[in-house]
Amino acid sequence: MSAIIKEGFRRVLGFRRKARFKVFPWFLVALALASVVILVSIAWVGSGLDGNETVDDLIPRYAGYFDFISVVALLFAAYAGPQLLVPDRVHGVLNVYFSRPLTVTDYLVAKVAAYATVIYSFWLVPQILLHLGFAALSPDGFFVYMRETTDVLWKVPLAATVYFGLQAALIFLAASFIDRIGAASSAFLAGLLGLNLVAVFFNEATTAPGARWATLVALEQHPRYIRDWIFGRSSEVVIPAQAGFGPEASLAVIIGVVAVSVGLVWRRYRRLA
Amino acid sequence: MSGSDPIIRSKSLSKSYGKVRALREVDLDIPSGVTGLIGANGAGKTTLLRILLGLIRPTAGQAEVFGIPVSENPAGLRARIGYMPENKCLPPDQTAADFVTYAAELAGIPSVDARRRASETLFLVGLEEERFRFLGDYSTGMQQRVKLAQSIVHDPELVLLDEPASGLDPSGREGMLRLISRFRDYGINVLFSSHILDDIERTCDWVVMLNEGRLVHSEPLSNAVAGNRIYVEVFGDPQPLIHELSDRGVTTGLDGSVINLSGLGDDPFRLLQDALVRSGSSVRKMGTGLSRLEDVLESAARSDRG
Repeated sequence: MSAIIKEGFRRVLGFRRKARFKVFPWFLVALALASVVILVSIAWVGSGLDGNETVDDLIPRYAGYFDFISVVALLFAAYAGPQLLVPDRVHGVLNVYFSRPLTVTDYLVAKVAAYATVIYSFWLVPQILLHLGFAALSPDGFFVYMRETTDVLWKVPLAATVYFGLQAALIFLAASFIDRIGAASSAFLAGLLGLNLVAVFFNEATTAPGARWATLVALEQHPRYIRDWIFGRSSEVVIPAQAGFGPEASLAVIIGVVAVSVGLVWRRYRRLA
Repeated sequence: MSGSDPIIRSKSLSKSYGKVRALREVDLDIPSGVTGLIGANGAGKTTLLRILLGLIRPTAGQAEVFGIPVSENPAGLRARIGYMPENKCLPPDQTAADFVTYAAELAGIPSVDARRRASETLFLVGLEEERFRFLGDYSTGMQQRVKLAQSIVHDPELVLLDEPASGLDPSGREGMLRLISRFRDYGINVLFSSHILDDIERTCDWVVMLNEGRLVHSEPLSNAVAGNRIYVEVFGDPQPLIHELSDRGVTTGLDGSVINLSGLGDDPFRLLQDALVRSGSSVRKMGTGLSRLEDVLESAARSDRG
């Protein structure tokens, strides 16, 4: 299984592939890292100005960084999932996998682990750099800042796990049933953003019975709501919160989506094996 | 398991896909060595191979490999088996070296060993120079060699090859058959399916014939192609001679104006001479020949059609 994880990591980032396979993922990685450099630079410039608190408030930290980088992260998630599943199926490589001492469950678990490796790296490496940057610029000193912000060491990974859970479930579902990488990525993005629009419609433009419950289809909003719950932030702009649901409802939706997706993907691959 | 035990055994093995019966009550004992699995397209060859790998479950009956029921530990058995699928199985954006290394790692071989073995295996199949090229840039013949390499890179005791010479030009086919024959020297048992009879005749020690899911023969190749065949062509109507021969218990088959004879007993020419005299037929042409797999298969197909 470790071989599948390693190979999956390589495939997503284009290692040992032709140059054209490296361009898009590394462009997104560069954007994520550049955002860290920009944020730390702003914090550094702001630290020497009067009214430092105002600049400080403008800089997204930890929970805010999830929003700041959300579009790039969503594109990366949409790109990585199909890269892991579609080529194996389209090029018949499943025949080789399943002629080895591997079961369908082994294969899928390894693919999820490969996806987790790249997605967590994408979320957490910039967050770590950001944390170190803020610590280095802290007027209280590096170590004092580190000591006072130990809570982010579990809050950030936990929030990343929530994002990962929902995105992995949806992109694996799309990539299991659609035989083109671009089409699977597009279906994932269109699904998430389209459902947001549906939820906004039910939240704001209709008073039909059950409209409140229909806002729960805003799948992209649920990880944000839970992230705010984890960081103890207010969530007024999140659609399920506006519809009067608590973060527990969002957690239940994510767990439900993951459970349905696991069942469907496993069934699909059981038939293919 | 002793050396004389069959490496593959099946008992009343059947597999149905809905109303289609891919395998019907197949009882098999295949010894070690190179075995050919022959049958027309749709005869059940791939189904049998996939059952032996534990990838599909039989509808009824049981299959054993190395004396172990496949259903008991399919993943464990697959560690000892290599498989070369008939269809495409190569990612075009990987090099042959990377892909074969990966195939070895999937079988549980540590990374460093896997890379070394991949190099050795690609050398064995004649791709040492091209191993760092992307698979998408390979010719069909080279791709078939990579498929073969991935099937043996983990040093299996048995390889199942599904139509390994399919899609190859004559020289590519020749090379592939030579490679398969060499597996014997490395102590690798082979079960390879083909619908090209000549490939089986040239490569195998044992032959298994399937026709419409039924087992026709499972025997040494020498038995399948042995058995002297006599053919005779007479002037005029061949029917009186056929009647005379049939009365004497000889099996006859009319192919145009040529009568093919089998079951002639210990003194075939005396028997034929008597029948010729009694029927008043005059010989135009007569001879002997070895029956070929093709004849056996055709005869099986004829008897299946009733």
